[in-house]
Amino acid sequence: MSTLDQTLLAQMPRIHGRVAYIFEDDDFDIDQIIGVKNIRIQDLDELCAVAMQDYDPAFAEAVKPGDVLVGGENFGFGHPHSPPMRAMRHMGIAAVIAESFAPTYYRGETAMGFPQIICPGIRDLVARWQTVSVDWASATLHNVDTGERRPIQMPSVSECRILAAGGHKSYLQNELARQHTGA
Amino acid sequence: MGQTMVEKILARASGQESVSAGDDVRVRPDFVLAYDFPGYTNVIFKQVREEFGIQQLPSPERFAIFIDHMVPAVKPEEEDFHEGTREWCRQFGIPCIEREGIGHQVAVETGFGVPGAFAVHFDGHIAQLGALGTFAVNMPRQTLVEAFVREYIDFRVPPTVRVDLVGELQPGVMARDLFHGIMAKLGNRFAQFAVLELGGEVIEQMSLDGRQAMTGIAMFTGAISALINPDQAMLDYAKPRAKIDLEPVASDPDCTYAARYTIDVGEIELMIAVPPTPSDTQPLRHYAGFDVQVGYIGSCASGRIEDLRAAAAVLRGKKVKPGFTLNVVPTSQRVMSQAAREGLLEVFSDAGAFVSSPSCDFCYGRIGTMRAGQRALSTGTLNVRGRMGSPDSEIFLVNAAVIAKAATTGLIPSPEEMQEELVQ
Repeated sequence: MSTLDQTLLAQMPRIHGRVAYIFEDDDFDIDQIIGVKNIRIQDLDELCAVAMQDYDPAFAEAVKPGDVLVGGENFGFGHPHSPPMRAMRHMGIAAVIAESFAPTYYRGETAMGFPQIICPGIRDLVARWQTVSVDWASATLHNVDTGERRPIQMPSVSECRILAAGGHKSYLQNELARQHTGA
Repeated sequence: MGQTMVEKILARASGQESVSAGDDVRVRPDFVLAYDFPGYTNVIFKQVREEFGIQQLPSPERFAIFIDHMVPAVKPEEEDFHEGTREWCRQFGIPCIEREGIGHQVAVETGFGVPGAFAVHFDGHIAQLGALGTFAVNMPRQTLVEAFVREYIDFRVPPTVRVDLVGELQPGVMARDLFHGIMAKLGNRFAQFAVLELGGEVIEQMSLDGRQAMTGIAMFTGAISALINPDQAMLDYAKPRAKIDLEPVASDPDCTYAARYTIDVGEIELMIAVPPTPSDTQPLRHYAGFDVQVGYIGSCASGRIEDLRAAAAVLRGKKVKPGFTLNVVPTSQRVMSQAAREGLLEVFSDAGAFVSSPSCDFCYGRIGTMRAGQRALSTGTLNVRGRMGSPDSEIFLVNAAVIAKAATTGLIPSPEEMQEELVQ
């Protein structure tokens, strides 16, 4: 339970993509991605239509599956709701990499199987649209364009299992099945 | 090597001799709590039955569901929702607690705040059980389902950040001011992913009400929960009503804290949290004279008897300014009855306040909502945009007495004006 074995590391989601946006501000309130007035929208197409309008109106056309977002310190502070990151995932965003995260946001999105990667110094390491890659085995983040690397903080074992399973519910179902079979 | 309080609690609840911050443990919650709310309990209930095929909860005596949001129901669908909760609880043989007040407070009043216990909920304000020495933590989104389908949860033992409050309180400074003062000094992430442990002579002299107010909003420091080593006064409160019998624990003098701070509270004046974030805490005097149209005294953070006493002391014999809306919502039925016995409800009523039975709904604008351009003073938990209505309204967080004063003038009072209230 307490160690990260090779099998688990091999099951972690592959993160290799372009930096689709850098939220430079510390304490970034993710609700701003769709705007507070849109926070009750549930429909994914509607959410995607309003997402990022205040930051880059051309975002939806530019983003590709596998891209990542980059943030500053305490990313996700405030009272984060789920629709903004539902929209981001739907648009293909594969991970958020930040200097640090607000715990409730971090734990909530991790539970969705959405990797939230703590990488001190990330804002200095990357520029928008450069390609980054995460190596879980060595716990490093690699700027593919510049060749620079930075350490990342590994999630807990159970968080790794959640990410490997694609979300908390699948993880729990796997765990219960494993328990049932005595594996 | 000594242990922190949270390490001792998680060691016992995981059946180990000792654990240390950073350890991944399988830990059995002593209590599994939730309030019924769309997207949370209904999803969890459905998953438990249909996706996990669970017919019986693991040790159901540990569970309680509170109905405190959407109270009173204003749409038939909301009452349907509550009825679905009641029915599910009946089928699974667990208590569904309603008409007693806001669940976090009712949990304290009815014995879920057991010194040394471990409790889980999906809502982080449950951290206020820490006032009695219970480690209570939120499991975000629908991850609380984990505690419904198996006896234990996977959890990483958090580090502890200790803050000692020493010195003499300035007149009129209440628990909310202290919390906002701590944030002004230490910021909004000094306890990130840690347990915030509060102590020192100021905490030792603080009421349970004040301790709950501070621990219940610890999340705004980045903490995942908060704890206070239980002293005799807290044990005297908790022990007779405790749901389970546990040995209380306290942090050892030689335990390892991730960080330790000492704050002289004499340096903390009346404070205000400025929208749109709970982390922009400033001296109240920076905003004295701002016009304000709405006041809300209530919530799981504040709205207990000492808040109501402080507000009533200001409002006694006075009237709420015409056009100003003052909502006074005691945190629980017990608090409301106590306020009635002390004549406080009469003071609010005579002043022209809207006095409501307990409900969470004022805190997030479902009741007493605000239109664009309005400004509120609130003892609620949060001041983000749109929290209490229009995204173009504003919420400033202050102590209850400041709201009472503003209700009579329509202006945010200065510290000097609040001082005059104390002299009268």
